Order: sequence, then structure tokens, then C-alpha cells
Amino acid sequence: MGGSARSHSRRRLSRRAFLAGGLAFGGSMTGLDLLGGPWNPTPAVAAAAGTPRRGGTLVLAQEVDPVSLDPDTNSNFSALQGYEHIYESLTMYDERMNVLACLAQKWEISDGGKTYTFHLRPNVKFHNGQTMTADDVKYSIDRVLDPKTASPWVSWFSSIKETRVVDPLTVQMNLDAPYPDLLGSFAGLRASGIMPKGFAERENTKINAVGTGPFKLVEYAPQDHITYVRNADYWDKSLPYLDGMTFKVLTEENARLAPLRAGQVQYAVLSAQGVAQLENAPGITVMKAPNARVALHYINVSKKPLDDARVRRALRMAVDTNEVIQKAAFGAAAPSGPVPTGYGDWALDPKTLPYLKPDVDGAKRLLAEAGYPNGGFTIELRCSPQYPEFVTSTLVVQETLRRLNVTANVVQMEWGAFVAAHNQEIQTGGKEGGEIFASANTFRPGPDGYIYPYFSSKGTLNDGGYSNPNLEPLMSEARAISNRDQRRSLYVQIQRTLLEDSPNWWWYAKSNIEALSTKVQVYSQSFTGRRIFLKKAWLGS
Amino acid sequence: MRYLIRRALWTIAALLGVSVVIFLLVHLLPGTIVDILGGGEGQLSPAQRAAVMHQFGLDRPLLVQYAYWLSSIARGDFGWSFRSGQPVGELLVSRLPITVELAVLSVVGVSVVGVPLGILASVSRSIRVKTLVQIVGLLGLSVPNFWIAVLLIIAASYLFHWLPALIYVPPWAQPWVNLQQMFLPVLSLALGLAAVVVRMTRSSMLEVLGQDFVKVAQAKGVPAWRVLLRHALRNALIPIVTVLGLQMGYLLGGVVITEQIFGLPGLGWMLLNGVYQRDYPVVQATVMLFAVTFILVNLGVDLIYTYLDPRIRYH
Repeated sequence: MGGSARSHSRRRLSRRAFLAGGLAFGGSMTGLDLLGGPWNPTPAVAAAAGTPRRGGTLVLAQEVDPVSLDPDTNSNFSALQGYEHIYESLTMYDERMNVLACLAQKWEISDGGKTYTFHLRPNVKFHNGQTMTADDVKYSIDRVLDPKTASPWVSWFSSIKETRVVDPLTVQMNLDAPYPDLLGSFAGLRASGIMPKGFAERENTKINAVGTGPFKLVEYAPQDHITYVRNADYWDKSLPYLDGMTFKVLTEENARLAPLRAGQVQYAVLSAQGVAQLENAPGITVMKAPNARVALHYINVSKKPLDDARVRRALRMAVDTNEVIQKAAFGAAAPSGPVPTGYGDWALDPKTLPYLKPDVDGAKRLLAEAGYPNGGFTIELRCSPQYPEFVTSTLVVQETLRRLNVTANVVQMEWGAFVAAHNQEIQTGGKEGGEIFASANTFRPGPDGYIYPYFSSKGTLNDGGYSNPNLEPLMSEARAISNRDQRRSLYVQIQRTLLEDSPNWWWYAKSNIEALSTKVQVYSQSFTGRRIFLKKAWLGS
Repeated sequence: MRYLIRRALWTIAALLGVSVVIFLLVHLLPGTIVDILGGGEGQLSPAQRAAVMHQFGLDRPLLVQYAYWLSSIARGDFGWSFRSGQPVGELLVSRLPITVELAVLSVVGVSVVGVPLGILASVSRSIRVKTLVQIVGLLGLSVPNFWIAVLLIIAASYLFHWLPALIYVPPWAQPWVNLQQMFLPVLSLALGLAAVVVRMTRSSMLEVLGQDFVKVAQAKGVPAWRVLLRHALRNALIPIVTVLGLQMGYLLGGVVITEQIFGLPGLGWMLLNGVYQRDYPVVQATVMLFAVTFILVNLGVDLIYTYLDPRIRYH
């Protein structure tokens, strides 16, 4: 093996990161309390005891049914949770969100960021025994880009103009414009899992899966379980340690807690309330770290009076961020700006965020300036009971705005209807669909994904045609340069301006709470909320 | 015989009506499979959306879609699931046994427990028994079964440290393991049902016990148990059977939630997921199946009447 790909080390992380994670998230520290201590975005790692051991099967509770295992066509996160152990892409993330080599061993970027040449890892075997070559990579990437595939993640890859097979182990991608988040897009795996050429035409990819990942699919029984077995031919010869894994679908939290306590399952994702039931439960470790998911309200800025930035800012500054966190996330969250808190150094330091303390008087002054000295207008907020936390955050906003004499009507909608209304709003440029939508932005392959599509006048997800002439050149520049420090300072500037302008109301990044048996060693949480590091976990006695 | 033919014709008419209602309801739901596939963050472009709509045939006029669906069903083809790409017929066949088992076990359990308790309540002169039955009946009626389900999970694991096997096992593979898995779900479904049956049995028995033929039987020296079971119960059964039949419909609704809570991959959960995912073929076929079951159960109940009371004749 060898090569640059093995630069990630399992040992380097464990102790230090565990202590750091413990400092930031341990004990009763929640919500704004986090701001008291030194901010450390490193997720927690279950401590290692002794040398890794092969063998054993893990039973895990899966909180949402994956519905489909197709690696390209699903917007639901649970599908990714189902196929992420089977499929891999050219790159992958480490525990600190650095992009590492995966199926590509190394790469060169040339032509001012417009040409990527990937050198593939040799002798990588698919689960069907076939050897992976450049043809398979081209096939898989072309499939994502094919409009017929209708991949919801195509925008992550749409800068790729052409994928060319140079030789069986070299793939070249030509971009129509530089796109620095491309490597992160592969690592994100929401689409771009590499499958054997022709696989999607031969098989039903929604229930069958053949990739190169650490685990092979044995059986997917929808709404019941998924079973995986160790891939003995995995390219990283030492991994994985486990012989197999079974994910049992248990959507009801009590149905996850009971077998977890009884030792019947060794892993479960829990809510902040659920984890309270585990207090003093022997043999269970609880891990908490922020997740790439910022809760927010999208605002249709074409509608009066929300077209006035002063009004949007006034309404936002009146709301107590901590109250939102305490009530909607039960304290298990950190305040966040546009890029979710914890996203490497792309996110703003939560201590420096505006609106941490509510300012009702300031809000009244700002409203008066905007021509509403006594409030007196009505806005409508939409949310879906599918996500109770967004209903709660919306109700906190509604309650607060009473103090400004602003009437907020809350409309609760079934999830499908909510999505349809929001899509309608985006597609009609804000003319129809609604005014304010409570939702969240989930993982993006880089900072750009939280900003450009929403706030560029050319963005495809722009609510009500938002445009700020000062931001447009900055957003384009940040997209084009690859110098990380320069990019970072641009994104700091862009985010500060956005917070000032308040085209969205950003609230918090919720903690990802995972509980596992103390027998499980060296499992690390991922900021992506994924369980990619199960391949490094092993079972102690 | 003529009666059966007429009933069959009515059944077909009812099913046609049901099919129209289901089809319209499902298509009137705001949001389509495209919105679900694109997700809450709206990442599908209008061109992609159009392509998906076309792929699923959703761009055709509603009437054409309906006619196509109906003619496919008539040929025994329930279409393909939008989300899993599997034939819906196959999905139904694989999920049906779980739901049927849940429903049958619940009804059997309710009959075995509820009817005797109701009889006991009707003959007992003890004020305690009467109050107890009243309280149990009221609780069973007013406590929703999903809440009972959660309580049962907590009680079983925390108080009794008992949990059945996690992964669903069909009864023909390991009957004992399967029964253990079914125990809590059936209990949660049956508690609510039992309340209704106990109350119905009690009031129906009280009415019959006051009638002259019962007094005659008692007067000529028929043993008490015989009076109760042969004479009174048989005559009191009609309303009880009616209630049980009606409750089958309630059960079909109950399994939707119960299956999800207990992680049982049955029809109910498939239906619920289908609605969330806007998987029209799955929802339509499942609801049709529920409708057919409901109609058949009603037919069965009507036929049982003629057996219970030979005076009832259908023409």
C-alpha cells in the first residue's frame, strides 16, 4: 500500500482529541455555556484501551429508514447512512474535516484550478470481485451529471465539464470554472460513490449496492434492518476491524433506548431529552459534538416589509438566541452563523457572533428607522411538525415579536407540503409560496455551499431574489481562489455582512448525540453526522 | 346465492368508488415525489424536476393516470414503487403476513379475554367488579394505543428487563421468537379493543338476561352455566360480533402507528412511509388492500349473523 493516502493516523487523534472534546462538550455545559470555555470544534473520540482487535459484530439502532441505497439520487440523509459503508469516492474526510486520499491516491490541480488529474489507487476491488479502473470512475461521475439521474446533489459537481479516462488508473476532469470545493464534494459522498461501470443499468441500485467500501451489503430489508459483512479485500488492509454490522431501524426513541440499556444494541443516536434517561446507565458512553447542520429561517426578501434589511435585522435582534437553543434543541447546540459552527475554521467563532443577547430596545429603534415606529405589521412563518425543533424555534420567534407589536402567524404544514411551498417560493422568485420558512442547511462540501446558492443573484436556491452588490464580487472571488487563508478571510467578511443584512435568520448548530456501549473502542464522531469511522472501531471485551 | 352475487356486485362498486377517492386524495396532497427526492433544501433544477415527473408518468393528465392505474390493477399489476423500484405487488405480499398476524392475534386475544370478562361483569353482583370493569373500559377507550405502546416498551425493559429479539423473524421460521416479538405490539393494540368488547358484552348480556326465555330456562332447571353460555350468550353475540368486525377497521389504523413504534416492517409502516415519500403506487395499493379487507370483514360478519341467528335470512 503506502503512498500519501495513509497519512491519516489512527493513533494521533485518540487521546488528545478525546480530552479536547471532553473539555468542550463534557459535563453539563450546554448552549451558550460553551462560549465560556475555549472553543474547540474537534469532535469527541471514544477512548482507546489496548491494541485494536479484529472480530465481532456490532448491532446499531438506525433512527430513520434509509428508504433507498442509491448513492446518487437521494436527498435524505438516512440514505447516505445506509450506503456510506458500501460506497466510496475519490476522496474522504478525516476526523478534523481534512480531505484525504481515498480511491484516488493523489491528484494534481492545474490550469488555474480548472483541471484535476486523479491518480487512482491500484488493485482496488469492488465487492463483486471486479478491479476498479478509470472507466468505473468516469461512469459513476457521468451518472451523477446525467440529467436523467436527477441527482439532487448535481450542483456539487456541475462545474465538471468533462471526465476523461487518460489510462486505466488516471482520470482527468476539466471544469468550466475553478471550484475549490470539488475535493470536498467527493468526500461528502452525497453523490459520486464509485460503482462498477454499467451497474445502474444492470441492477436496482435502490436496494442493491456494490462499491469498494469497508463493508459489503448482505441484506437490506426496508423498515427492518440492513446487514453488512466485513470486506476482506478492503484496500486499507488493516481495516475494518469488525466482522460485520447490523443496523436495526428503530424510529421511536424509547425503542432505541431500551435495547441500548439492555446491551442488545451497541449504538444509538439520541435526542437531548433521550440522553437524560441514560444518566448513570452502566456500560454506555455518550458522545456529543456539533453537527454540520445550521437551523435557520429562510426569508423571502421580495415581500414587504421583509425586503428592508433593517426590518429583518430588527426582528432577529429581538430574539434571544439562547432561548431558542434551550427550547428547540434542549440546550444541546451552539450558536451559529451561515457556515455551521464547528466546520473547521470556515465557521465564525461563536463567541463573536452578533445577536447573542436579545436587544428589544435596539430592535424598536431599528423598526422606527425603517418606518414602523410601533411595529403593527403581520408576517407569516411556516414550519413542519416533522421537525418539532423548527416548530419550537418558530414559536419562540412568534412569542418574542409580540414585544415589538409585530404579529407573526405560524402555519404548520406536513413536510411534503412544506417542501413544495418552499420550492414554489424559490421558483417564482418569491411571488408565491410563503414568506418565512423554518428549516436547516445540512452538510455542504465547503463554505461556498452555505452561501453562493442562497445569496448570489445567480444562486439556484435564492429566496425572493436576494442580492447585495457589495457581496456579489466577494462571493465570486471566494469561489475562484484556492489559497486557503485568503478564502477564509473572504468568507469571514461575507458571513459578517450576511449576518448584518439578515436575509436568513441563523440560529444554531445542533449537537450530534451518539450513545454507544463502552465495549466499542476508538469510534470517532464526524462533523458530517455520518458514521464513517465505524471502519476504525473495534470491540473490546 | 343471489344475495352473494348482489353483495359481490356492490363490493365491486364500492371498490371503484374507493379507488377514485384514494387516487384523488393521494394526488391532491401538496408536494410530489419530486419535492421529496429534492429534499427540504430544494436542490433539483426545474429541468431535472420535469425529467423525474416524466419518468414516473406524473406529467400526464390525471384522468389518464387514473385509467392507467385502474387497468393495471385489473390485470393484477400494482405498479412499481417510486422509491425502492420494487414491484408493489411483491412488497404487499412480503408485508401482509406481519400485519395480518398482528390483527388476528389482537382479535383473538380480545375475544378470549374480553368476552369472558364481559360475561363476568354482567352476572356479578359485586360492586367492585362492576366499578373495575367500568374503569378499565373507560381507560382502554380513552388512552391512545401509541402511548400504551411506549409505556409497554419502558415497562418491559426497565421493570422486567425483558426484550424480544430485535430483527423481525417470521412465524414459520421461529414461531416462539416471533410470538415474543408480537407480544407487546398485540398487547398495545388489544388493550383498547378489549375495553370496547368488555363493555359491549356486558350490556348485551344484561339485556338478554332480562328476557323471558332466560327465565323459562332457569325455571325448568337448566344449569346456570348452560343458561349463560348456550341460551344467553348466543343471543347476545350479534352486537359483539358487529363490534369486533368494526374494530378490525380500527385495528388497520392502529397497526400503522404500532408497527412503527415496535419496528415491525408491516403494511402499516409501509403505508406511512409511502405517504411521507409521496410513493403513490405504494399508498394506493395499500389503501386498496385495506379497503378490500374492510369490505370482506363486513361481509364475513353478515354471514356469521345467519349462523348465530338462523332467523336472519338474506334475500
